[in-house]
Amino acid sequence: MASPFGAEASRIGIKLSPDTRSEYNEYPYYLSGLKMRSLDVARRIFGTGLSFALFGIGGVLLSLSLFPLLRLFSPDAAVARRRIQRAMQLMFALFIGTMKTLGVITYELHGIEKLRRPGQLIVSNHPSLIDVVFLVSLLPQVDCIVKVGLWRNPFLRWPVAWAGYIPNSHGEELVERCAATLRRGNSLLVFPEGTRTTPGAGISIKRGAAQIALASRADILPVTIRCVPPMLGKHVPWYRVPERAGHFTITVGEPVPASDYCLPGEPQSVAARRLTRWLRACYSTEESRRAALGSASADDALGAKV
Amino acid sequence: MTRDEIFEHLKGVLVELFELNPNDIGLGANLRDDLDIDSIDAVDLVLKLKELTGKKIQPEAFKHVRTVGDVVDALQSVMAGGPAA
Repeated sequence: MASPFGAEASRIGIKLSPDTRSEYNEYPYYLSGLKMRSLDVARRIFGTGLSFALFGIGGVLLSLSLFPLLRLFSPDAAVARRRIQRAMQLMFALFIGTMKTLGVITYELHGIEKLRRPGQLIVSNHPSLIDVVFLVSLLPQVDCIVKVGLWRNPFLRWPVAWAGYIPNSHGEELVERCAATLRRGNSLLVFPEGTRTTPGAGISIKRGAAQIALASRADILPVTIRCVPPMLGKHVPWYRVPERAGHFTITVGEPVPASDYCLPGEPQSVAARRLTRWLRACYSTEESRRAALGSASADDALGAKV
Repeated sequence: MTRDEIFEHLKGVLVELFELNPNDIGLGANLRDDLDIDSIDAVDLVLKLKELTGKKIQPEAFKHVRTVGDVVDALQSVMAGGPAA
């Protein structure tokens, strides 16, 4: 039988499981709880949209003001690069702070002091749209690989160039640019999956990160990002917020020298495969753990539709 | 060197460099999709194959290479001294 409360729930876009639906049918006083929930969802959709809007507008404004000024008043490109990376960190930290203040996310950080050592290849899994923002907000100096399309963006092309970010070209060229910056003692942030994780598809680690590590012989610092319930994932529109605020846990592992994965006289192609298997193992335990949580929680997380 | 000999040699190189199963390597196998050989691997492969041909292999020779069979053709052409396919 159609219930006004079930109808109310679907009108405001909350998917009820069969159990809860009957609960709502039989106990109308739950409705106030339901309204609170929908209010919370609406507030977080607004908060997410506002954060992104501020980030976009802020990015454009800073690209027209602060970044050119930093470049102009720096004696050389290297100093400008350092200052602009630092400014990026502060801008990204402001974004994360905004999301936290608006109640869109919560987070905890473990071992982040290990991020600060220079010359490391920082690798991370990539569950959400804001992973790079999160990690850069923790790193005063870091090189990133960014979409080559940004070099055609009228606002962002200069800041990304001044920051010394690396365009995501392909193959040797990309590996060589990444290895070169590591050899110069800079840290580099890489997502070995190449893109956000497709929910439910498991982790797919590409070999590029291992190739960069072997070409530079840098230390590899594995970072794990977990977001429960998942939000801002691949193929999920930003406004489909989870049932409650996403809680990010960022855990920095122990650095591993790339040379630990090379045997003398062995072709680099073999070492790259071994290193890639190690990376996959680092992250697939995380993935399987998440799978063990069951599909129920994932359903729940995506249940609040609009 | 016959085409078959080149193929056998290439198979040995692919197994050694890329930890492949020899049974997966046929002339029609696509290097990238079937054998998971990326562009960085291709550099290692070309270096290794130089030992076979004894000649410098121009990257252009491998530009249109997609399958194992294409590599055999390219090698044959390089070893014959002709312009690389």
